[in-house]
Amino acid sequence: MQKREEHMSSVLIKNESRLGLKLVAPAVGIIGLLVIYPILFNIYLSFFDVQLNGTKTFVGMENYTDLLGNPRYYHSIGVSVIYLIGTVIGTTVLGLAAAILMNQEFRFRNLARGLILLPYFAPVISVVFGWQFIFDPVNGIYNHVVVDVLHLTDTRENLIGNPDSALFVVIVFDIWKHFPIAYLLFLAKLQSVPKDLYEAAAIDGQNAWGRFWHVTLPELRFVIATVVLLRIIWNLNRFEDVYLLAPNVETLPIFTYYQAFAGIVDQGVAAAISVIQLLVLVGLIWLYVRKVLKW
Amino acid sequence: MKTKTSLFVAGTMLVNGLLISQLAHAATVEFWTAQTQTDRLQNIELLASTFEALNDGVTVKVVAVDENEMATQMAASVAAGTTPQLIEVNSEIIMALGEEGVVDTKTHQDVIQDIGKNRFHKGALTTLASPSGDYYGLPYHGFIQGIWYRKDWFDEKGLAAPNTWENIETAAKALTDKANNQYGILIGTKQDSYTEQVFTQLALSNNASEFDAKGNLVFNSPATLETIEYYKELAKYNPPGPQNWRARDYYLQGKMGMFFYSTYIMDDLALAEVAKGSLSSANFKELSGGTFDPELVKNTAFAPIITHKSAASYGTLSGLVALKTKSAENTKATKDFIEFMYDPASYITFLHMAPGGMNPMLKGIAEDPAYLEDPNGVFKLYGADKMKQIVSGFDDIRSFSVVEGKTFPASGAIFAKSVIPRMIYSVTIEGKDPQAALDDAEAEMKAIMGE
Repeated sequence: MQKREEHMSSVLIKNESRLGLKLVAPAVGIIGLLVIYPILFNIYLSFFDVQLNGTKTFVGMENYTDLLGNPRYYHSIGVSVIYLIGTVIGTTVLGLAAAILMNQEFRFRNLARGLILLPYFAPVISVVFGWQFIFDPVNGIYNHVVVDVLHLTDTRENLIGNPDSALFVVIVFDIWKHFPIAYLLFLAKLQSVPKDLYEAAAIDGQNAWGRFWHVTLPELRFVIATVVLLRIIWNLNRFEDVYLLAPNVETLPIFTYYQAFAGIVDQGVAAAISVIQLLVLVGLIWLYVRKVLKW
Repeated sequence: MKTKTSLFVAGTMLVNGLLISQLAHAATVEFWTAQTQTDRLQNIELLASTFEALNDGVTVKVVAVDENEMATQMAASVAAGTTPQLIEVNSEIIMALGEEGVVDTKTHQDVIQDIGKNRFHKGALTTLASPSGDYYGLPYHGFIQGIWYRKDWFDEKGLAAPNTWENIETAAKALTDKANNQYGILIGTKQDSYTEQVFTQLALSNNASEFDAKGNLVFNSPATLETIEYYKELAKYNPPGPQNWRARDYYLQGKMGMFFYSTYIMDDLALAEVAKGSLSSANFKELSGGTFDPELVKNTAFAPIITHKSAASYGTLSGLVALKTKSAENTKATKDFIEFMYDPASYITFLHMAPGGMNPMLKGIAEDPAYLEDPNGVFKLYGADKMKQIVSGFDDIRSFSVVEGKTFPASGAIFAKSVIPRMIYSVTIEGKDPQAALDDAEAEMKAIMGE
């Protein structure tokens, strides 16, 4: 009897695992086709010089050595790092501040909550045009106010065009455009923090800062970590905002574009760059998940 | 009225054509055009429909592809096996494509033979010649670049026309008044093709070039260095920060003394309506575009030739490129369609999309009375003689890719990678040393040529 039952259960287990395999097969197939295959083909292409008509010439590591010997590549990595640090910290801090503010009771709170999301919803191209008009050196309102109205300076500045300030403008633009998503995630979590935790902290003699430090922050820890992770992934690959607003800010994706896609597409070089970028991204995320999040 | 009639004619022919075409076997011409504006596309669609009506069983599929996207899209379509039969794009991209082995030079030869080699402007045809004497494309339309300037301001200050290096610099200095938001000149300082176009004309006038007649790279020369240094001087009188052709709006607003531009500006200057359009943009139809000065055409003069060590006129052209296709029927249909596009009736319809900006590459078209009657009356405003003078420039336009009648397609690849614009940007905006920037540019050019 017992034996039969054992036999039954092992058959059941087998059947179940077979069913399991069948159920995940479509997903595995799709991922294999759309993710694994392109990655492998990409690695393969990175060792070739590819002509438009499909002719491939094996060049070994040449695409990689060309890339790693190019000083502009390292410059763009530096720019990317500054851009990443600035935007990730900026959006997280601003998003957190906005979420805490919007978690308080006040009149028109719902309206304010909605309005905060606007920059995130507006199409990139239209807000980029808006910013360009604002900072236009000859006709823009910024220069009009600073030079003609307030007489703060005599010289008109092209803040977006000037390479010294362009990176700064691009960072501010990204923070302004993307902090709402951080805010949204923080606010959702804040609303689920039990009130009695704050009350208990107040009884323990904690002031507002102490309550933030000992209750809000630990409660938000994983949301903050998620926001930071998402922002790193998005912004390491961020192209359109930077390229449309100030194409002279050469972050890694912009450099890739100029190097590989401007003019006739250099598919071998493009493949080599993306292989390196993939390795960097995977490495960064692994490090972050293991060491910072300790997942 | 004219459009209505032609629409009707085309429509009738289209219906007839459709009925017959079902009997004949099918051929397809997929035509990628760089003309993405709606009104221009409608015009080209009309031409395509007319051709379909005249040729049984042929389908012409018009696809608009942004000029900056053309090379990328081509790469994708060739890889996917869906290469179009015909594209229309600028000469630099044509030369770069030619080197990729996807161009059907045989069809080009056939068309040239049918139309007659002598009917093409010689300089235009040479621009698209391959090193082996084939043609990577057929010249279709082109523009001449030069300096457009405020004649009234020049007269007021007693300045000479900006046709030499000295005159340009003197005038730029005299007309700049930054405290009052006035700028002397517009030259390109952004990392895009406008910068290369302005620089090329100045470099050619200083006898600087990319290649010598043997094809050696001679870009890193004292003449080029001198041009860069001069360019840096001129950039002082530019509006603040990196600029490209879009800054021409400052001229239309009366805030700028002169600017490098192509003959594409002619209808903008001439027509208040068009000027309004250019001040806003295709994207913002509601904007009325501020004030327009109706006297601007009268007060504007054009200096197409700049002289320093030699006289240089600069222009660039767009061509039709037939691509390799496996089907003989498609190749035949493509050849027929190209020849149809050169037929005076359809050719003039096409060129009238941008009077002055799109100039004919076949001799005789510019004198055609039908050509001089453009729908907006732009040519009447400038006069037939001025038009003829502009078009004649195509007999001896110069560029970096043609040296003593020989073509160096590597120049197209260098253009495509924006080597020169990035060099200019680093000198004028980032303050890099001209010789260091020139050395870097030369190294990049060598890398592109695979040396």
